[in-house]
Amino acid sequence: MPADVRALIDRIASALGSEATPERVERVARAVLDASERPAAQPAPVSHAVAPAPTGGASRVVVTAYGHDRPGVLAAVTAELSAAGANILDVSQKVLQGYFTLVLVADLPAGMDLSAARDGLQARGEALGARVLLQHEDLFQAMHRP
Amino acid sequence: MPLSLTEVLETVQMTEADAFDIRTVTLGISLRGCQSRDPESTRQNVYDRITRVAEHHVAAAQEVERTYGIRIANKRVSITPASLVADGFSPADFVRLAETLDRAAAEVGVDYIAGFTALVEKGMTPGDAALIEALPEALATTQRVCSSVACGSTKAGINADAVLTVARAIKGMAAQTADRDSIACAKFVAFCNAVGDNPFVAGAFHGPSEPGAALNVGISGPGVVLRAIEALGDTADFGAVTDAIKTMAFKITRAGELVGRRVAETLSRRGERVPFGVVDISLAPTPADRDSVGDVLRAMGLANPGAPGTTAALAMLNEAVKRGGLMAARHVGGLSGAFMPVSEDQAMIEAAASGDLTLEKLEAMSAICSVGLDMVAIPGDTSAETIAGILFDEFAIGMVNDKTTAVRLLPVAGKGVGEWVDYGGLLGRAPVMPVSGVANGVFARRGGRIPAPIRSLTN
Repeated sequence: MPADVRALIDRIASALGSEATPERVERVARAVLDASERPAAQPAPVSHAVAPAPTGGASRVVVTAYGHDRPGVLAAVTAELSAAGANILDVSQKVLQGYFTLVLVADLPAGMDLSAARDGLQARGEALGARVLLQHEDLFQAMHRP
Repeated sequence: MPLSLTEVLETVQMTEADAFDIRTVTLGISLRGCQSRDPESTRQNVYDRITRVAEHHVAAAQEVERTYGIRIANKRVSITPASLVADGFSPADFVRLAETLDRAAAEVGVDYIAGFTALVEKGMTPGDAALIEALPEALATTQRVCSSVACGSTKAGINADAVLTVARAIKGMAAQTADRDSIACAKFVAFCNAVGDNPFVAGAFHGPSEPGAALNVGISGPGVVLRAIEALGDTADFGAVTDAIKTMAFKITRAGELVGRRVAETLSRRGERVPFGVVDISLAPTPADRDSVGDVLRAMGLANPGAPGTTAALAMLNEAVKRGGLMAARHVGGLSGAFMPVSEDQAMIEAAASGDLTLEKLEAMSAICSVGLDMVAIPGDTSAETIAGILFDEFAIGMVNDKTTAVRLLPVAGKGVGEWVDYGGLLGRAPVMPVSGVANGVFARRGGRIPAPIRSLTN
């Protein structure tokens, strides 16, 4: 066993303390080693000032909804996305002084028309008094992750 | 790294509350090679080339708008200066060429087509002179055609003959559209140090050294900058204000570059290959609430544009936008500075109406902003010599400081100081401002060329 792997196991056992069992230490160590063996993410080529255009794959979108807080907005938005075949990756919602803000990240199926998805969401949102936006994630990445 | 809630909401706030949009995606099209032996076939070649290259321009821009949920206010085309393509035409031929350009623009659905242009910094060919002579009728009889004449540069000096000829043409434009508040003047710009990749009208043209086609983008983000400054409060020092502007300029320029590149890629997929050109990082205002450069100056602590300190505030804004924008885009070009079109900016309109903002203060501000006197309404009885004098002053500022200056004056036929002109839409409304009546006729009529400044000898 290489010295660095042995040192890793020792550190895991020490961190787990009295809860350390051979099975738990092995599980954690395997996860750490698997992660370290994955190829590191390659930095974006310098020639690309912005991310490459979406191709035939799924489109990652950011859905934002805001308005007066009332029951059912999150359910309506997720139901509409679910009907469109979207895979929801992240959801955040805040309610402050009677106003809510919902931000949701989702992958839409390849080739899906973003306009159709946006129109469906806006119609559902308007029925509940909420403004709903759907924007490709590249816009946010360009502005905040240069 | 995943996006944070704050980051997402900041972008949404820009587009929803701060009127941030892309002012224009402008498709530059070279018309070199379109000239033929006779005017009729030249016009046909020009029409065919524009409608072929720009066929999918509007559709491509709309596709990008839908994808990113960000509005593109105008889709435009710019062309090789018309006088280069049609040298040898008569003035009547140039009027018909303008009509052809108008038809081509309508066919492809763009808001404006710009480049009915002559570059006469050093002298005029017969074609240049014919184009300028045709200007009043050409701009009065077309809807979407925009025009410019470059009368000077740091390298060449100022062509004084051209300046007076252009001043008379401006009077002609005003007279020919007297029934429409002289709107033809709003579609014409006179330049010193004109640039060939400017996406903004009326002064856009596709420069002789540009490729066959290029997609340039102009952004509009005064509202975003305004909110950033307001958030600082009244006690933040100029360093903090600069940082806030710089940060916002970086973000909106990134959005502009993304949109521009995607439009170019979409166009290239559908038709002829179109490379992305530049982002023009000018902060273009609109008459909409909060979308105002004048409001940015107020947020810095001036009661109104025109107050002592206005020139310094505008200089700081201009520099901070450049610092952020330069880092955000691969190629920055065009005019790239702060615009201050009086009729298109609500706070400037108010300041002009109250008398706080004068033509003389605007002239001082033009020494450090990206253009000069823009969309300024003046009395209809202003003489051609006085207009020429204003052009001379602006061009002297541009020539000596090695920067672009432009003049878009509106000598509104039949109207005097205090009356209003209202064009609606992006062109906005403005009060007619007073102009000095001190005689300058002898100076304006001297002719010849004002020599290039010593700083032009850089080699």
